Amino acid sequence: MRAIVAIIKPHKLDDVTEALRDAGVQGMTITEVRGHGRQRGHSEVYRGAEYSVEFIPKLRLDVVVDDMDAEKVTDAIMAAGRTGKIGDGKIWLGPLDTVIRIRTGERDDDAI
Amino acid sequence: MSTGKKLFALTLVVLIALIAVGQFGHGGSGDPGGTKTSAYSTPTKGSVNDDLATGPKNVPVSQVGVNKLANETGHLRVSINFTWLLITGFLVLFMQVGFAFLVTGLTRAKNAGHMMMMNIAAFAVALLVYYVVGFAFQFGGVAPIANIGNTAPLNGIFGHGTAGVIGLHGFFLQSGNSYDVGVVAFFLFQVVFMETAGYIIIGAIAERVSFAGFLVAEVALAAVIYPVYGMWVWGGGWLAQLGNSIGWGHGAVDFAGSGVVHATGGWIALALAMILGPRIGKYRRDGSVRAFPGHNLGYAVIGTLILLFGWMGFNPGSTFGSTDLRISIVAVNTLLSACAGAVAAMAWTNAKWGKPDISMTCNGMLAGLVAITAPCAFVAPWAAVLIGIVAGFLVCYSVQFLDSRARVDDPCGAISVHGVCGVWGLLAVGLFADGTYPAAGWNGVAGPVKGLFYGDVGQLGAQMIDIVVGFIWAWGMAWIIFSLAKRFVKVRVSPEVELEGTDAGEFGQVCYPDFVQVTETDARLQDDDLALPYLTAEEQVGVAPAHVGQPVGAAPHDTG
Repeated sequence: MRAIVAIIKPHKLDDVTEALRDAGVQGMTITEVRGHGRQRGHSEVYRGAEYSVEFIPKLRLDVVVDDMDAEKVTDAIMAAGRTGKIGDGKIWLGPLDTVIRIRTGERDDDAI
Repeated sequence: MSTGKKLFALTLVVLIALIAVGQFGHGGSGDPGGTKTSAYSTPTKGSVNDDLATGPKNVPVSQVGVNKLANETGHLRVSINFTWLLITGFLVLFMQVGFAFLVTGLTRAKNAGHMMMMNIAAFAVALLVYYVVGFAFQFGGVAPIANIGNTAPLNGIFGHGTAGVIGLHGFFLQSGNSYDVGVVAFFLFQVVFMETAGYIIIGAIAERVSFAGFLVAEVALAAVIYPVYGMWVWGGGWLAQLGNSIGWGHGAVDFAGSGVVHATGGWIALALAMILGPRIGKYRRDGSVRAFPGHNLGYAVIGTLILLFGWMGFNPGSTFGSTDLRISIVAVNTLLSACAGAVAAMAWTNAKWGKPDISMTCNGMLAGLVAITAPCAFVAPWAAVLIGIVAGFLVCYSVQFLDSRARVDDPCGAISVHGVCGVWGLLAVGLFADGTYPAAGWNGVAGPVKGLFYGDVGQLGAQMIDIVVGFIWAWGMAWIIFSLAKRFVKVRVSPEVELEGTDAGEFGQVCYPDFVQVTETDARLQDDDLALPYLTAEEQVGVAPAHVGQPVGAAPHDTG
């Protein structure tokens, strides 16, 4: 099993969730987060004075998938979440030991 | 006894005194029942009789019937005006809501509860203070107001002839027989005007003033600063008499209070903001200016639109009666100027910063409203548009100037909107008053009010005197009183409270407990912060890095 974390632009949420469902993903979790990448945010003008927005609002998407689905799912997120401009976000994934469904106690593959 | 208990005892004593002192002076010639007001003593008496006297001769007229009719007509006229005065007063009262929204929206979430608390406390405290002394100082000797039945008890004035300086009747709405329907109706309308000046100051001292310091300023405003200057212009005082005393136009003319209410509030705000110093992180010695975006621009817009609505009471109500049909022109002039101001600010910020600025558009609309407040009854609609446009530009320049050059930290633009544009409004009377109003003389000088462009240079002169005197009085008095208060009361919150948020620090309650507040625009206290001189020595040590207080460029202490 693999845990996939994607940081995406908030307005791309609908596109990405639709793509994930098409790819067979059933469950997912999103969180409102803020962050920055290499650009370190940007500056805005408020009442004539500049201020820097260091951490930009993003959505964090958490998905748990079978090993063999990982490639397909990351491709789907990439395709649906991309605008081609700075700030499209990142995806990272890593191995996962255990998954448990709280209601039934099912484990691992059965719990995905 | 703890400080809290002492304050509680003091509050109780004051509140009981409010009731007790009001017991004196019963049984005078006032009209608390409202049955005598207006009846036969109003100006309508003459005209009704005259018309009947010159009417068809073959109609049998009984003198008793005519008297009755005159009585009824006079009473109705005053009733209509009472209704108008009270309802417009309620509209002005609603502006308190608008201002609470505006200033809370333009400040940070961590201070939202503090902002709201200041708004409600300002209203309650200032109203009681105005009831005790403010109203009497301002209107205790005002000339009879015919529209609402002559307000006969308000005839106590200090200062002879054209040199009146303070009113003397109406303390506790009781002294000088002022327990009277006309006087009390007038009180309602005037107290909400005072409240307007009272909440203006909040915008400029926000996010760093202590609640105690704010209350001191509010009491000073409601008791002395606002009423005394208000008396000079509106209460029959020496500024209003400049036309009679030195022959300059009609004396100081300020229809609904660009000067009396707004400039006064703005200049008091300026003095307080200067004494308090800027918010931590706002300015640094290296020249950088930091913006602290307001946490809810939606509030700011809602607040501005509520203020616009309330202004439909502020200006048209200042006729003190709807039998004066000029109210339609007053109302439309007010709208025209407000919209012209908003459009001007929108266009200016778009040209200057690349995008139209939401909060400055709000300020532009308010600037137009403030500026038209003095001239609204005296100018033509085209002039109202012009006055609004100038105000819209003026407020943009002024906000920029105060923020970047003068470095007076005014989170909501109160000084620019109310001080600067209030002055422009007073000036505009002396320029654009077109001689169509009023039919009867203003301030006891015959003929309508005319500005420079309609041939009366003297009027402009009187306006200028009014502007200068108003500034010196409001700014100077606020400076003196607040500087003195600073020795006894902690007028600025500690840096810990300021950085954590005044909600939690001053009240132990926060406006938004369910949200994690990401305060990325919050600043640390750095060693070249221009707020430092306004903090005590211990405070600087408590929060600032260890090397604060050393010459700039010195090496920090090695903390090991």
